[in-house]
Amino acid sequence: MTRDLNRILIGTLALVLAGLWGLPFAYSVWTAFHPEIYAANFKWNAPITFGNFVEAWNSAPFALYFVNTLILITIVLVANFVLCTLVAYAFVRYRFRWAGFLFGLVMVQLLISPEILIVENYRTLSQIGLTDTIIGIALPYLTSAFGIFLLRQTFLTVPKSLDEAAQIEGAGAWRVLWTVYVPLARPIYLAYGLVMISFHWNNFLWPLIITNSPEVRPVTVGLSVFATVESGIEWSLVNAATLMTTAPLIIAFIIFQRQFVANFMRAGIK
Amino acid sequence: MTLRNNTALALVAGGLFGLQGAAVSAADLEFYFPVGVNAPAVETIQALTDEWAAANPQHNVKAVYAGNYEETTTKALTAAAAGDPPQVAVLLAIDIFTLIEEGAVLPISDIADSPEEQEWLAGFYDGFMNDTKFDGKIYSVPFQRSTPVFYYNKDAFREAGLDPEAPPKTWAEMIEMGKTLTKRDANGNVTQWGTRIPTLGLGGAWLFGGLVVSKGDVLSTETGTEARINTPATIASLEFLQQLSAEGVMAPGGISWGDTPKAFLEGQTASMWTSTGNLAFVNENATFDWGVGFLPGGDGPGAPVGGGNFYIFSNTTPEEQEAALDFIKFMTSADAAARWSIATGYVAPRPDTWETPVMKEYAERLPQALVALDQLPHAEREFATFQRAKVTQYLVEAIEGVVTGSKSAADAVTEAQEKADAVLKDYR
Repeated sequence: MTRDLNRILIGTLALVLAGLWGLPFAYSVWTAFHPEIYAANFKWNAPITFGNFVEAWNSAPFALYFVNTLILITIVLVANFVLCTLVAYAFVRYRFRWAGFLFGLVMVQLLISPEILIVENYRTLSQIGLTDTIIGIALPYLTSAFGIFLLRQTFLTVPKSLDEAAQIEGAGAWRVLWTVYVPLARPIYLAYGLVMISFHWNNFLWPLIITNSPEVRPVTVGLSVFATVESGIEWSLVNAATLMTTAPLIIAFIIFQRQFVANFMRAGIK
Repeated sequence: MTLRNNTALALVAGGLFGLQGAAVSAADLEFYFPVGVNAPAVETIQALTDEWAAANPQHNVKAVYAGNYEETTTKALTAAAAGDPPQVAVLLAIDIFTLIEEGAVLPISDIADSPEEQEWLAGFYDGFMNDTKFDGKIYSVPFQRSTPVFYYNKDAFREAGLDPEAPPKTWAEMIEMGKTLTKRDANGNVTQWGTRIPTLGLGGAWLFGGLVVSKGDVLSTETGTEARINTPATIASLEFLQQLSAEGVMAPGGISWGDTPKAFLEGQTASMWTSTGNLAFVNENATFDWGVGFLPGGDGPGAPVGGGNFYIFSNTTPEEQEAALDFIKFMTSADAAARWSIATGYVAPRPDTWETPVMKEYAERLPQALVALDQLPHAEREFATFQRAKVTQYLVEAIEGVVTGSKSAADAVTEAQEKADAVLKDYR
């Protein structure tokens, strides 16, 4: 009896929370598909329009920006997976002098917010001539203390016996990494990849500062053109642009939703 | 040694190519600009930049969109700190003290040293030149300037039995007319307020400066070290804001800047105080007859100016500085400024712009645009000091504290003044 009641209560609570959470999204969809005058004026029979999307799309070279964002994210993602995996693997599998100290150094980086380093990073990139390039945007993010920490902790949970069994079968260090450690850490890679993608999809200030040309700028820079505080913000335009720039992420999530959830569950059970 | 060789080479080249080679030297310019108004602004800036480049084939210029004002300043200062500054940028007029403190900008009055150039510099409206000076030198050139005006719904005025051609001129008239303009439904809920003055955030602090000017005072001076937050004028201004909501003319509590034009267009308020930057937006979207007047004043008209100016950066070559100056002259020339003003709603900063045929035609089509110009002689600098972000925040907190009812006017200004003085005393 109480169990049923609990279930109903929790169900209602979940619905209410989901509703609250979804409201801003619903609002942005509403305004994006209606003319500006209906932005704060809800009528069921308001005419639906795609004009906002057309106008938003034409306000900045978005096709170019999308390609740039994709290139940027691919570079960052691949580099992070490779570098963080190798570093974490070394920390877990090999005993070497200063290992604890070096890992401590990596951890200290977690305390430093990237914003503090903007001027220094700019100076470095300017000296090696990489300002205003996609590689330049990506360079400070090619590896991360968080990724190393995450993978090291995951690799530590891999049973030693699996590693040893592989060695007895004649597998070398690379093969052990590739056939034992990496497959077992797959949910972590997926979760970490998701975090990375959404972070870099949203990153704005650093790309804005380090680049000057539309040819290398990401979507966020295109989106910022609509934040016209001085002349009054046109919500329908802003929301159309926002939906447009986040659409690939939302669509990807809907398609891969089942896998995401399954993987997170598996990561949690472990 | 290398330097001397280069100079010699340049001289020889200049000699070989005659006048043309000697008179101009090629420069690569980077020009950072922010965008605070609707999207065509980017296209217009790009088009104007291209025209200058076409007319000056010996130079290169790259217009770089750099976000909003704050982001543009961050970008320019970061690049300058890394030794790679833009040659020219449009940044907030009130960032002058920050830029000087960082050693990032040069006095333009030193670069524009010929008599013609000095004359050109003197040709801007005084109202826009107030906040370009420090220590007797001019550091910036007005470009995208705005000033707030009083927008009112003429239909609402007619409905309330008021003369639609006579907007309120004083605070007393504002309150009196506001009372007749406020409408309530059967349950006593307000459906239309008398007026709306944004009081929250930086926009609120900007408009507040106008109230203070109309009481015959200013919030800050050319020194950059003086914040006049605790004065009879500021207390009177805060009390006026309190009175507006106490008399039921304006919604109680804080009023946001961004929602104000929408509230006006949807008829939730019969009038609003906001930037001329909204002229085009209101003109496109208003479904009623509307007009523009001076901001109602305490002891007389008064308004703040705001917006962005051209700066020339240090750590650049003399050739680049000359080219940058030439670029600025082009951008503020009558034709360019007219196109910029019409595309964006910014107030063209030089009288000659208003004499051009396109501008005359524009003023005829949108006579409301002329009001800001007439109000300009009564306008004063926007609040600006060293450590502006921090000190302005104290002012913002004081205003917000008073309008939300958590502080009395006298307490709020005393507290803000103390905090501001603690910061500024190091600069005196």
